[in-house]
Amino acid sequence: MNKKIQRSLAVVSAAALVFGVAAAQTSANAAPKTVYIAYQGPLSGGEASTGTDEQNAVKYAIKLFNAKNKATYNVKLVSIDDQGDPAVAGTVAPGIGKNKNILGVVGPAYSGATIASLPFYKAGGLVLISPSATRVSLTDSASPDFGGPVFHRVVGKDDLQGPALAKYATAGITNPKVFIFDDQSSYAVPLAGYVTGGLKKIAGATVVGTDSVPNTTTDFSPTIAKIATSKADVVIYTGYYSQAAVFIKQLRDSGSKAIFAGGDGVFNQEFPKLAGASAEGSRVTGVGGLAGVSEALEKDYKAKMGVSSGVYSVESLDAANILLQGIAKGNTTRAKMLAWVKAYNGKSITGNTIKFSANGDISYGLFAGFTTKNGVLVNTGIVK
Amino acid sequence: MFSVLIDQFWSLTIAGVALGFIYVLVSLGYTMVYGVLRMINFANSEIFMWGTFGTIVTSRDIFGYTQTSAPATGGKLALVLISQLLMSMAVAGVTAIFVEYVAYRRLRAKGTNRLATLISAIGISIVLSELMRLLTDSRPVGSPRVLEKIILTEVWGANIRLDTVVTIFAAALIYFLLERFVKLSRMGKAIRAVSMNEDAAKLMGVNLNRVITTTFLVGGLATGAAGFFYITVFEYTKFNIGFTMGMAAFTAAVLGGIGNIRGAFFGGLFLGLLEVYASAVLGTQWKAVTVFIVLVLVLLFKPNGLFGEAVQTTRA
Repeated sequence: MNKKIQRSLAVVSAAALVFGVAAAQTSANAAPKTVYIAYQGPLSGGEASTGTDEQNAVKYAIKLFNAKNKATYNVKLVSIDDQGDPAVAGTVAPGIGKNKNILGVVGPAYSGATIASLPFYKAGGLVLISPSATRVSLTDSASPDFGGPVFHRVVGKDDLQGPALAKYATAGITNPKVFIFDDQSSYAVPLAGYVTGGLKKIAGATVVGTDSVPNTTTDFSPTIAKIATSKADVVIYTGYYSQAAVFIKQLRDSGSKAIFAGGDGVFNQEFPKLAGASAEGSRVTGVGGLAGVSEALEKDYKAKMGVSSGVYSVESLDAANILLQGIAKGNTTRAKMLAWVKAYNGKSITGNTIKFSANGDISYGLFAGFTTKNGVLVNTGIVK
Repeated sequence: MFSVLIDQFWSLTIAGVALGFIYVLVSLGYTMVYGVLRMINFANSEIFMWGTFGTIVTSRDIFGYTQTSAPATGGKLALVLISQLLMSMAVAGVTAIFVEYVAYRRLRAKGTNRLATLISAIGISIVLSELMRLLTDSRPVGSPRVLEKIILTEVWGANIRLDTVVTIFAAALIYFLLERFVKLSRMGKAIRAVSMNEDAAKLMGVNLNRVITTTFLVGGLATGAAGFFYITVFEYTKFNIGFTMGMAAFTAAVLGGIGNIRGAFFGGLFLGLLEVYASAVLGTQWKAVTVFIVLVLVLLFKPNGLFGEAVQTTRA
């Protein structure tokens, strides 16, 4: 029922967007030339904090670009709110796909929403650069989810994250006994598989138990009973932060001292806030903010945006910069922009080389390890 | 496969009973209204959800507890817990009466068909959950810890924890009081009379509207109490938790025999235990499948649920 209301609201707001953009276009004939790029991700709903952080990084990139190219271009951002939900994405994407004023999209943020949006963007030839959609099938040309030729991403895939998470979770433990469970989502189940794969390469590590828990669960006592029976000393959860917070409290209350670890779904500062003291020492893999790249950059960001940089800000900034550089080079049609991205060869703000493979992947994947200390997830550096 | 069940039997059983008692109280919200009106109160799940927020607001905003503050002790602990319970029951009770006024009363007075009230109840339930979604910005809300989860003792390898003990005993007490109320009080008798035969009850001078409002109130109070216990055990809520809970409690009510108070009791406990055992033995992914297979099997052999239908069968 909820979904339906959300969907119809989404249709209305998408329509408003399309007309709004068209109206703005006709009234802006004078130089500098006004062009539009979009950001797509969850800007409302339970996952809104991820989308807001990403969109802020895109806004920051646009701010810098517009200041530098005042005479020639005025780039404007179109916000596409898909709530991170495939059902909502499927209703907003058609309008965006048809609106030729939008040259490229940073996003979609989530893999499921990406898959739902893809048919409309492929039809419209709209180039996508996602800062955070990590599902492997998106760039697998044999999969029905394949996003080519429009989909690209500047984030490492889950098959790179899984081993990184396995490594980080078991660091410093000899012969770790690992219990893995997922939330049955299309993000968590494959990631759990890649974690299991990664564990095979860690000396002495064994998987002593698994479970698969619906993401509406609040009573984790059966899972905790299994963990107790399995005598696991490391528990890895591949779902999202809100469930992780409920779980970790119950695990600690049961008296278990096993290490708790999670992937980038758990990587959210709301996690320690919700779980309180129980979250202390939890190990989470994710992507760092700008401070991990340079303190000066973070300072400038904070001064210009009024907030600190958040999750995926490095990736969002990189993705926006690729599109903006394309605009500066005069690629102001969709076809030209797509060709520009496909042929792109440049540097990430982290210094890595960004060059997309034929299927839209970059060659590196950086996952940082975070540990909860005093109620905050603290960056402990890239997992190597 | 069964090693978990054998190894952790008592831990699972205690967790299942605690969860079961929460189901029992929410089931009462469904069963009471069904017993009297022969209609499902689809908004009961959202009444529960509002109750959980009432609980958190009491400890967080009235008593000023935060995620980092130390749990309460002694007299303060009793004061905060009782205030939380009363607030949750009050919020849920008021919400239930509101639902009755808006979704049922006028439609009933106009003699509309049953489907109209069904839809109006669903409508109210959407309004209640969307309103909370907007108020909380769709975010999950964690509850500060008021009751320290001390492990009291160990019995047969299972940790007996304070919060589960409090939940089981207090919930059982509330159930018992409500059952006595329906059985013995004047209003309780009126409720059962309306449940048996509305027209005859009216002719005997029973004030129908008052009885129906009271029924909603009693159901709401039980559901609100469940909200308090839920927060005490799980310390977490969100605008959409009502759906899962409502589904489980409704299933429990049907399992026991909807409209039957004792049925809600056994249905709730049975469901709580079944869920934890099935999750532990088969894996949590099989929980819902197992529960509904059992429900269908029970209904095949006992179409009115384990204890049959209707409030009036609780003999005085």
